[in-house]
Amino acid sequence: MQSTAHLFARNAQKALADKPLQAALGRATGRFLHHRAEAVAAFPGFEEARERASEIKTETLARLDEHLGRFIAEATRRGAVVHVARDAAQAREIAVRIAKEEGVALAVKSKSMASEEISLNLGLQQAGVEVVESDLGEYIIQLAGEPPSHIIAPAVHKTREEISELFGRKLGEPPTDSIPALVAIARKHLRARFLAAGMGISGANFLVADTGSLVLVTNEGNGRMGTVLPRVHLAVAGIEKVIPRMADLPTFLRLLPRSASGQPLSSYVSILTGSRREGDAEGPERMHILLLDCGRSAILEGKYREVLKCIRCGACLNSCPVYQSVGGHAYGWVYSGPIGAVLTPLLVGLPEAAPLPDASTLCGACGEVCPVKIPLPDFLLELRSDARTQGLKTPGEIAGMKGYAGVMKRAGLLEALERVGGLLAQFFTKGKPVEGLPYPFSGWTERRDFPAAAAQPFRKQWKNRRGVRE
Amino acid sequence: MTGVDERELLFRRLSAALGRRAGTGGAPSLAEEPPPVSGGGADRAERFRQALSAVGGVVLSDPPEEALPVLGEALRAEGVAALFFPQEDAGARRLAEALIPFGPFTLTTAEEVRGGNPALTAGFRTADAGIAETGTVVESSRGGGTLLPGLLSDVHVALLPAGSIVERMDEAFAIYADDPPRNISLISGPSKTADIEQTLTVGAHGPRKIIVLLV
Amino acid sequence: MTYTTGMDPQRSIPVSLFFTCLADAFYPRVAFAAVTVLERFGAAVRVPLSQTCCGQPAFNSGNRKEARAMARKFLLSFPGEGYIVTPSGSCAAMVKHGYPVLFRDEPRTLALAHAVGERVYELSQFLVEVLGVTDPGSDFAGKVTYHDSCHLRRGLGVVEAPRTLLRAVPGVEFVEMEESDRCCGFGGVFSVKYPQISCRMTEQKVERILATGASWVTSGDLGCLMNIEGMLSRVGYPVKAIHLAEVLAGTPASPSPGAAGKGTS
Repeated sequence: MQSTAHLFARNAQKALADKPLQAALGRATGRFLHHRAEAVAAFPGFEEARERASEIKTETLARLDEHLGRFIAEATRRGAVVHVARDAAQAREIAVRIAKEEGVALAVKSKSMASEEISLNLGLQQAGVEVVESDLGEYIIQLAGEPPSHIIAPAVHKTREEISELFGRKLGEPPTDSIPALVAIARKHLRARFLAAGMGISGANFLVADTGSLVLVTNEGNGRMGTVLPRVHLAVAGIEKVIPRMADLPTFLRLLPRSASGQPLSSYVSILTGSRREGDAEGPERMHILLLDCGRSAILEGKYREVLKCIRCGACLNSCPVYQSVGGHAYGWVYSGPIGAVLTPLLVGLPEAAPLPDASTLCGACGEVCPVKIPLPDFLLELRSDARTQGLKTPGEIAGMKGYAGVMKRAGLLEALERVGGLLAQFFTKGKPVEGLPYPFSGWTERRDFPAAAAQPFRKQWKNRRGVRE
Repeated sequence: MTGVDERELLFRRLSAALGRRAGTGGAPSLAEEPPPVSGGGADRAERFRQALSAVGGVVLSDPPEEALPVLGEALRAEGVAALFFPQEDAGARRLAEALIPFGPFTLTTAEEVRGGNPALTAGFRTADAGIAETGTVVESSRGGGTLLPGLLSDVHVALLPAGSIVERMDEAFAIYADDPPRNISLISGPSKTADIEQTLTVGAHGPRKIIVLLV
Repeated sequence: MTYTTGMDPQRSIPVSLFFTCLADAFYPRVAFAAVTVLERFGAAVRVPLSQTCCGQPAFNSGNRKEARAMARKFLLSFPGEGYIVTPSGSCAAMVKHGYPVLFRDEPRTLALAHAVGERVYELSQFLVEVLGVTDPGSDFAGKVTYHDSCHLRRGLGVVEAPRTLLRAVPGVEFVEMEESDRCCGFGGVFSVKYPQISCRMTEQKVERILATGASWVTSGDLGCLMNIEGMLSRVGYPVKAIHLAEVLAGTPASPSPGAAGKGTS
């Protein structure tokens, strides 16, 4: 996917002015947060599971070569064909080759962020393979020709009226204002596609090393349809999705749905191991697993390794007040919210995504909810520091910081400036709040006052009252 | 060709990133979770019922003569007109056939449903296991079993031997030991979506209702 | 008037006040209020006047070179032993958690940073956890709601101390706001880089504050209060922002920060 992360400020402004989006965001994130909090409260083992999941992931990443090697060996032994792609272009090439070799003209796809990373749909469509998104939200935005705006709820910004109009225009269905009727329309059209498709495309929530299994978690059941009915199954997954063993899976299944939507368990978990066996009633004749590096091995090497622990639950998005304010599109790439603000610069490069790490108040809410304890606020800080060392800060900011640090080096100089500030405040606003600061602080006072400097700073008043003793 | 080369290159990158020589094995160094503490059998069925009911599922544990009318009424209420089951699943077949008087229901096959039979259907199947922790029904392709009754139907009726309910997920996975069948499906509620205006709606792709008959 | 405290009020506890640059330049009364409360409970307060700014704005914006220079200055300003108390969760968190990051490659300074960090307490935390204060002895009166500053709550894990103290003030009618732990949108440099997003968040915080019907909103951080007050005063809402230290100090109250606003005077 082409990144517009460098345009975050502009994208965010647009989102703030979008009334329906604002209403939907408020509802959606509030609902998620509420459900998550309830689910966590109702499950006493949550913190313990969180600790354990974090340990398992840390441990797995420290020996990712071994665990991934084991996964590939076991999956292959059970009939899966495993492919490895270094970057997005190569991944698309491989996917296209698979579709061609398997003679696939139509593919149904369940939601996968990894496939968005590599623009899989575009690649396949350019090669003449039709790809239909089967997750309802994704289906809607595919019909609308938009990118998804949320890991969990991609069409969070669309109203039923817009969807009815869309279904009328694209599917020839009569208008309705009933949500169940809209769902039924999608079900009918997608069922036909599932049955006609030559290939089902899925992501993977987990890759289980000791059995070579792939785990898919969905509520709609599209993940099951697409991996049971079509004759070929193509799974696209980042190499970091591996967990050591099936015995580790329950820990993650206890965390993922609770963190994502507040459910004890999603309606459907599919554990898919290899291709159809002899005597099986159904299942794909061939299972292809396309493993993506796409920048992950580079992340593994550096100080951001722990970001690869992410299980894509979306809890950090929902808890983030910035995400709650601007939604997912503003982040300009596949991943949004705090995880996007960290992952996008690491995957597409900090020069392209430099505004994202700054798009946080460092309030820490994301770090608090992360089910695998990724230190997201620390990483945001780290990336901001990288921006400085990589020469991505404006000369103005650097000059400002140097000046500020220069003043703070000497308490006497600071006091002198504070007293000048106090005099100016008395002179210009008579000690009342300031209504307009000059650039680059002018945005601050657009809708807020700024306090006037005290006539005399505390340090001066203290000396006056108590003498110079410290 | 590129596949093999790329794989090797990936492992070289990983080893370099981890600052070590490529290892083998892949045995986890973390200790396994302590073995789960299981509650008693009767309580377990009750916990299963509570957990599944909490997510909108229905659990019937009455003797067959009492369960049949209730089940028949539940299916009629959902507008079900046709019933299907795996040919080799004797329990499912018996149940579906016994339900006909409580209809009107006709019998159909998975192939017909797959072929686009427009009638609303109920799909019957005997489950591999139940999980009390989450109210989950476990079905799989073990022994050539079909998943279509729980996949293509509008209402899924799962027959669950009460003795096959385990307490926790860990135990359910253990029944497949080291050789999981191609497809294991954990079902914990109806097919649902909240993708339109965050309004929970059932029957997105799969069954809009799941009914479990404890046998 | 007698105060309940776990310590002998006659025994003086040496405390260095880390008054913060915001209090110094904009809100001296908050620093004085902190001194009042500390002295009330037997602290011998000294104020190292060589302190300037802990460097948080530089650190949070990724300008670590400048942040390190300020952090070094801070560490030198608070030599020796004894508690360092500050009326700011955010500045305390900077010293405790930020400095170890800044000096991770300088073992000797890192050791010093850890040693100094261990001495640092936010005011309400110090009163409750160290001095065992259960009744702050304040005669402040009014309906008060409390905003959890992010760095006090999530950075230092201080959730109950401010509430315990507020509830113990007889004249205070304490009322919780919805989502008191949701960020007010300040975020230091964030509010300058993304003022519109920041204002949207502040707006939502202000809505929550107004919904309580409180006359006062208090918090443990001047950054948040400056931000919240800025919007309250611009719109002219009948709510005043006041630092927790001021509530705990009680009268004679200096004019509250909000009192200078157009709508409230």
